[in-house]
Amino acid sequence: MTRLVEVENLTKQFGNVRALDGVTFQVEVGEWIAIMGPSGSGKTTLINILGGLEAPTSGRAVVDGTDVAHLDEKGLTRFRAEKIGFVFQQFHLVSYLSALENVMLAQYFHSTTDEKEAREALRRVGLDDRLEHLPSRLSGGEQQRVAVARSLINQPKLLLADEPTGNLDEANEEIVINLFRELHAEGHTILMVTHDSSIGRLADRRIELAHGRLVKVNAAAWIS
Amino acid sequence: MFARLLWNLLRASRARLAVALVALISGAAVISALVNLDLDVERKLTQEFRTLGANIVVAPAYALAGSGASPMSPALMDESVVQTIEAMRTPAVIAVAPYLYVVARASVENSDLPVVVAGTWLDGIRRLEPAWKVTPGWIGSREERNLCLVGRNVARQLGLAPGKEIELRYAGNSIVETVAAVLEAGGPEDNQIFVNLPEAQGLLGSDKRIGLIQLSVEGSANQIESFANRLGQALPSLEVRPIRQIADAEGLLLDRIRLLIFTMVLLILVLTALCVLATMAALAMERREDVGLMKALGGSISRIVGLFLAEVGVLGAAGGLLGYLAGIALSRWIGERVFGAAITPRLDVLPLTVALTVGVALAGAMPLRLLGKVRPAVILRGD
Repeated sequence: MTRLVEVENLTKQFGNVRALDGVTFQVEVGEWIAIMGPSGSGKTTLINILGGLEAPTSGRAVVDGTDVAHLDEKGLTRFRAEKIGFVFQQFHLVSYLSALENVMLAQYFHSTTDEKEAREALRRVGLDDRLEHLPSRLSGGEQQRVAVARSLINQPKLLLADEPTGNLDEANEEIVINLFRELHAEGHTILMVTHDSSIGRLADRRIELAHGRLVKVNAAAWIS
Repeated sequence: MFARLLWNLLRASRARLAVALVALISGAAVISALVNLDLDVERKLTQEFRTLGANIVVAPAYALAGSGASPMSPALMDESVVQTIEAMRTPAVIAVAPYLYVVARASVENSDLPVVVAGTWLDGIRRLEPAWKVTPGWIGSREERNLCLVGRNVARQLGLAPGKEIELRYAGNSIVETVAAVLEAGGPEDNQIFVNLPEAQGLLGSDKRIGLIQLSVEGSANQIESFANRLGQALPSLEVRPIRQIADAEGLLLDRIRLLIFTMVLLILVLTALCVLATMAALAMERREDVGLMKALGGSISRIVGLFLAEVGVLGAAGGLLGYLAGIALSRWIGERVFGAAITPRLDVLPLTVALTVGVALAGAMPLRLLGKVRPAVILRGD
C-alpha cells in the first residue's frame, strides 16, 4: 500500500496547554481511520493540522508528500484547495447560497466551476431534488450530505471529517455513515473524528487520544 | 460563478447594504449637484453680474486718461465708432449703448435746476441696465424722440411724473421732453435725465458725436479683458477699458464659491465614507464565519476580499449612478433658488461622480481588511 499521511512526533501548544504531545502514526491510501478520545484530547487539533488549518508547534505532518509545517499561508491555501476535503460537525454551509452553489463554491476556490459536475456530486449523495434549496430549507442530514458532496467535488487526496454525525438524528446518521462507507469502498482515504464507538468500529483502524497523546491504537495503526 | 456569488452576497445583506447605498446615493447626489454647480457657476455668475451694468467702456483716449470715465469730459468721438463695435459683436456681447452727457438746465413750471442729461438709445439701455427699476416701464422705441427717463431724485426735486413736460437748455439750445418713466438705479443715474441720443446731440449742438460707449459683455474676467484688447486693437485712437471693479468682484466671488464647493465635496466624501465604514465594519463581523469557511475550502484571502470589494464597488457604482440622477434634480433646485435659473446638467459629471462614489465606498470598506486575519480553525470551532 502507498503511504498518504505520515505524522511524526507532532506537538501543538496553545499557550500553556499542550493540545498534542508527540503524536506519531501513518495512514495508507484508501484507509478509513477513526480518531477517538474524550473532549479536549486533541482530536480536532490533529485533523486541523493535517488539513492545514493550524500550524504544528513541532514535529512533522506530511500529507501526500507535503509537510504542512513548512507551508506558508499561500501554500496552505493551495494545499487545502487541492488535497483536502473537510466535513464539519456544524455542516458550515454558506447560508445565502443554494446547495448547488455551496458545492460550486469549493470548485470556484479550487480552479473553475463546472455546474454539471456539481449537480452530479449532489445526485451522488441523493440530493438531486434539492439543488436550488438554501441550507435553511434542508434538514440536518441533507445539509451534511451537501457538505460531503462539497468535500468530494475537487477529488481530494484526504477526507477529514470532524464528528460528521454529531448533530444528526439516528436516521440521518445512518444515511451519512452509509455514504462514508461507500466512499471508503470506492478507495477514498478518510480520517474521521468521532465519539461513537459503533462508528469507530466501521473504520479500518482506530486511534485514541487522551491529553494530546496517542494512548490506544490497534496494532496496524501504531507506528512509534 | 463570480457574478453568481456577487449577486447572492448583495441579496443576502440587502438590508444592511441598503443603509450604505442610501448614504452613497445621498453623498453622490450632493457631489453631483455641487460639481454641476461648479461647472456652471461661472456662466451663472457672469449672467448675474451682467445685471450690474456695463463692464467695458470705450471713450476718447484723453477722456479716460485722468480720473476715469468722467461724463463731464468735453472729449467727443464720432458716432460711427458704434458701427465698428457692432461689426465686431460676438454672442457674448449682451448690449452696446452710446452716451453723450450734457450738463443742462432743466425747467419745469417755476423750478429751474442744473442737471446731467444723458443722451443714449433709450430702447437699448434696458439690456445694459436690467437691474434698474423703471416706473411705469421702459421705453420701447427710440423713434419717439422726445420721450425721456427721469432719475428718481430729479423727479422729486422738479415734481416730475410720467406725462409731464420738461424743458432742457444748454448754450442757447433747448429741447422739450415728455417724461415717460421715473427710474431708480441706486446710483448717480438717479440724479440724471435720459433722453434719446439725437436730442442730446441737438442740445449740445454736436451732430453725430458721442462721449463714450458702454458695453455689457458676458464671460470671465479674462474673456472680458481679451475682448477689450481686441476692441482696443480695432480702435487704436480710443481708450477701451474693462471696468475692473466688477470683473475683480466677480473673480473673487467665483473663487470663494469654488472653495466652498470644494470644501463641501470633501466633507461629504468623508462623511459618506464614514457611513459606509460603519456598515462594512458590521458586515465584516457578520461574515467572519463565511470567510473562515471559504479559507478552509482553499479560498485565498485576496480572492475572498476581492469578492467583497467587488460587492462594495457595485454598491458604489449604483450609488454614484442614482446619486448623479438625484443630483441633476438637486442642481436644478439650487440653480433656481440661488440664480433664478436651472443649472445645466453635464454628462461629464457622471463618470466623475461614479468614480468618486466608488472610491469612497472602497475607502469605507477598510474594515474588510480585518477578514484577512480570520483564522478558519478558530471560526469553524465556533470560538
